[in-house]
Amino acid sequence: MKSAHTLFPAKNSRRKLLAALVIVCGLLLLFPARSEAYAGPGAGFAVLSSFWTLFVAFLYSAYAFLTWPVRYLFHWFKRRKAHGKAQIKRAVILGFDGMDPELTERFIAEGMLPNLARLRDQGTFRKLRTTYPAISPVAWSTFMTGVNPGKHNIYDFLARDLANYLPYLSSAEIKGPKRSLKIGKYVIPLGKPQIKGMRHGTPFWHLLGKAGIFCSVIRVPVTFPPEKFPGVLLSGMCVPDLKGSQGTFCFCTTQAAGDKFREGGVRVPIERDGPVCRSYIPGPEDPLGDGKAADLRVNFEMRLDLRKNQARITADSETFTLKVGEYSPWIPVKFKAGMGFSARGICRFYLKGISPEVEVYVTPVNIDPGRPDLPISYPVTYSIYLAKLFGPYATLGLAEDTWALNEEVLDDDAFLVQCYANHNDRERMLFDALEKTKQGLCTCVFDTTDRVQHMFWRYLEEDHPAARNIPRDQRPPVIQDLYRRMDELVGRVMKQIDDDTLLLVVSDHGFKSFARCLNLNAWLHQNGYLALKPGKTESGDWFDDVDWSRTRAYTMGLNGLYLNLKGREREGIVEPGAEAEALKEELRGKLDGLVDPSSGRVGISGVFDCDAVYAGPYVDNAPDLIVGYNDGFRASWDSVMGKVTSQIFEDNLKAWSGDHCIDPRLVPGVLFSNRKITEEKLAIVDVAPTILKLFGLGLPTHLDGKPWTVATKTAA
Amino acid sequence: MVSHISMNQASEAAAGFFRPGLPLVVVVLVSIIIGLVMVVVFRYTSDQKAIHVAKDQLKAHLLAVRLFQDQLPVVLSSYGRIVLGTGRYLKLAFLPLLYAIVPLTLLMAQIDRYLGSTPLQPGESFLVTMRAADSGTVNQAALQLPAQMATTAPPVHIPAENEVVWRVVAAQDGDYDVGVAAAGQTFSKRTIVSTGLPRLSPIRLRGRFWERIFVSGESALPPGSPIQSIAVGYPDRSISFAWIQWNWIWLFFVLSLVAGFFFKSVLGIEI
Repeated sequence: MKSAHTLFPAKNSRRKLLAALVIVCGLLLLFPARSEAYAGPGAGFAVLSSFWTLFVAFLYSAYAFLTWPVRYLFHWFKRRKAHGKAQIKRAVILGFDGMDPELTERFIAEGMLPNLARLRDQGTFRKLRTTYPAISPVAWSTFMTGVNPGKHNIYDFLARDLANYLPYLSSAEIKGPKRSLKIGKYVIPLGKPQIKGMRHGTPFWHLLGKAGIFCSVIRVPVTFPPEKFPGVLLSGMCVPDLKGSQGTFCFCTTQAAGDKFREGGVRVPIERDGPVCRSYIPGPEDPLGDGKAADLRVNFEMRLDLRKNQARITADSETFTLKVGEYSPWIPVKFKAGMGFSARGICRFYLKGISPEVEVYVTPVNIDPGRPDLPISYPVTYSIYLAKLFGPYATLGLAEDTWALNEEVLDDDAFLVQCYANHNDRERMLFDALEKTKQGLCTCVFDTTDRVQHMFWRYLEEDHPAARNIPRDQRPPVIQDLYRRMDELVGRVMKQIDDDTLLLVVSDHGFKSFARCLNLNAWLHQNGYLALKPGKTESGDWFDDVDWSRTRAYTMGLNGLYLNLKGREREGIVEPGAEAEALKEELRGKLDGLVDPSSGRVGISGVFDCDAVYAGPYVDNAPDLIVGYNDGFRASWDSVMGKVTSQIFEDNLKAWSGDHCIDPRLVPGVLFSNRKITEEKLAIVDVAPTILKLFGLGLPTHLDGKPWTVATKTAA
Repeated sequence: MVSHISMNQASEAAAGFFRPGLPLVVVVLVSIIIGLVMVVVFRYTSDQKAIHVAKDQLKAHLLAVRLFQDQLPVVLSSYGRIVLGTGRYLKLAFLPLLYAIVPLTLLMAQIDRYLGSTPLQPGESFLVTMRAADSGTVNQAALQLPAQMATTAPPVHIPAENEVVWRVVAAQDGDYDVGVAAAGQTFSKRTIVSTGLPRLSPIRLRGRFWERIFVSGESALPPGSPIQSIAVGYPDRSISFAWIQWNWIWLFFVLSLVAGFFFKSVLGIEI
């Protein structure tokens, strides 16, 4: 984007002019008079704001400097119990979401990952047992709280509303303000939106913070809404976009309306008038509407230049030029409602094509980190600080737009460019946190590992249905490159740490192929556990056409299977107690070892009773059974959305070709440490107690994890 | 009665905030126009992106001092970065300043001719000061006044400064030439007695090109003249605004900043 315009583009003439101006100014300074003491608002602003900045900075620094001994003593006092027992000064935890131990071992053996190999040799490399189910929000919640899901209440991305069998986001609830004022057609919100975190349990950095140990926490999943604690935190997975969804991209096109996107995006028409095209970005609901009003919009205009294969786009107050196949930087957009209300966000444009059809992809509108409408960090100024330091960055929880690639709105390259742009931002944040946190905890989770493996597993496998038509020699080594990048990152972090720092590389789960879809609702229907309304052979999304009065079991989300329990579900028919237990046993017996008739392979390798795997105050919110799909299988796209189809098994033809929402025993995560760890069998639930112990803190009794025995010094 | 008095006081106080007069109107207009022109010039002569980044970096380091205040090394390094960042920001603002300073300075020098001083009033005494090149000329110098003017005191000689000072009074409005005779020649100085807003030249100079540009509004005295300068002591002008008496430069400074701030926000210009 060209944003700096200059009046004198020619360098030489500009230099001469500059020299002349310097001479003239010098002469003016030699003969000062009151009339030239001031040179306009520009200089006035520059000088005033510079002095103001320095003045404020000086005050801050003086305050920090003068009060530091008092605060140091205060923190020492808080830390005194832990101080003597601490084995480390600093812990650095790199979370590589979905890094797979088997792939890692394979790539290390091939010599691709020298830094991880060094880490393994000088310290520890183990498989890390994940949670039931092996889903990121569940596993990272366990990572931070040191408890099983029965105590932190996160079982999946989605939970079900018992009153209507509809899903809702399991991690956070966002509602409008408590009070509003209705004036005519307007409903004026009085107050801020209500955001309620649904995850329970205490993250270990809260305990460290209370003990006076500073923590920098960056993009750990399920940290939205950000909770108050003595440290800094930037929320990760589960932060919504400006629409309140988990990511809704916009595809603007001159093509006649095609199929509606299954999920994750909206198609918007482009009006073309010669070289000028006009379209819009749909935004959030009108906050002044009564819920029935149309979404707010930001209009944009494009001027096509077919000869140069580019377009000049004007959106809000920003104008920029994009070539076909190019992304814009983050563009601020403001959705204006009436009466001075507005919502601010940022998005990136990707010019997909201008001939014969004009196609523009717009990322989901992220909350602007520099002017957040919802809190996405603690303190709020931390997201602003990062935005000022590095420029705008993706704030959406699932920032890499996998849906756009799945729906073929983006191609592989465009998706990867987006992924690594976000990844690079995250790296900058990590290294800044490392610099700022010389003592204490610094943890940062990278999602790229998860998203790229989800979308490019098809190239890793010999005969994946989603890549059957692509010859083996034309498949890019995307996952190999990903692991190499992560290894380089580990190498750079290792250079930044000293012997008193514990370095852990942690993944929440591993990865396996997702070649075959299994619609469990279809199986339940065909086996008499789920009934459709008379005359129906299939249902729509979210159990449309399901006859609940004759349904005993259903599934929604990725791994949970629910009984339609009387007294719990609105139209439950299964009696709690013996009947429910018998039904669970029956389902386990039939589903465990379920065979895919087309290949003879087992589709489900384990079905787990939640009463046996969970314990805690929130067990009642858990599914009744967790379905563990075998390697190569996963819940079908339809099944996840509560849809009953006629097919139980089918090929997965989507780019989303790898997954981990399967039998947790098949997808452990990884643990690398720069110190030797004695125990052989490690679990993600142990990370929190281990860190607390290493910092010399006592362990709360409710923790489920057990601290590891970690060597006191890094091996030479 | 009491309420009548307080009403009067209130209306007087309100009138004191903005007492319209030609000089104030001129300053306000000039401030608004220059505020607009200068931010536009700034926009096109500056690297807007670099300024935006530099300002953001400064804000980030300020926030770092607040966010990491318990970590003294971070606070100190952030402060160092703030100082460096301020230098970088001023450097970026310097180039547009160079573009603006020449025309603006010349313009302000000209406006100062109108607004810097008030013209003389009939009956008001003022000083005419002649500075000679040598002490001999000081002793010979004589003032030649038009009929509407008269001296009110004998001349004062200041040999150490090579100066002679006359106290003069004008009887009525007019545009006069006050003459100073020395070494057989007579040199004139324009002197204005008026109630309007005329262009005033407080001094007539020999040579000194740059000083003439900025403080004089008259042609130079001849190069070989025995007189270096003839000055007329116009009173400084003060403008009443917001219950304060302002020198026009300060008022212009404040008002053009306000105008600049307004226009920069409206036009989305980074300063």
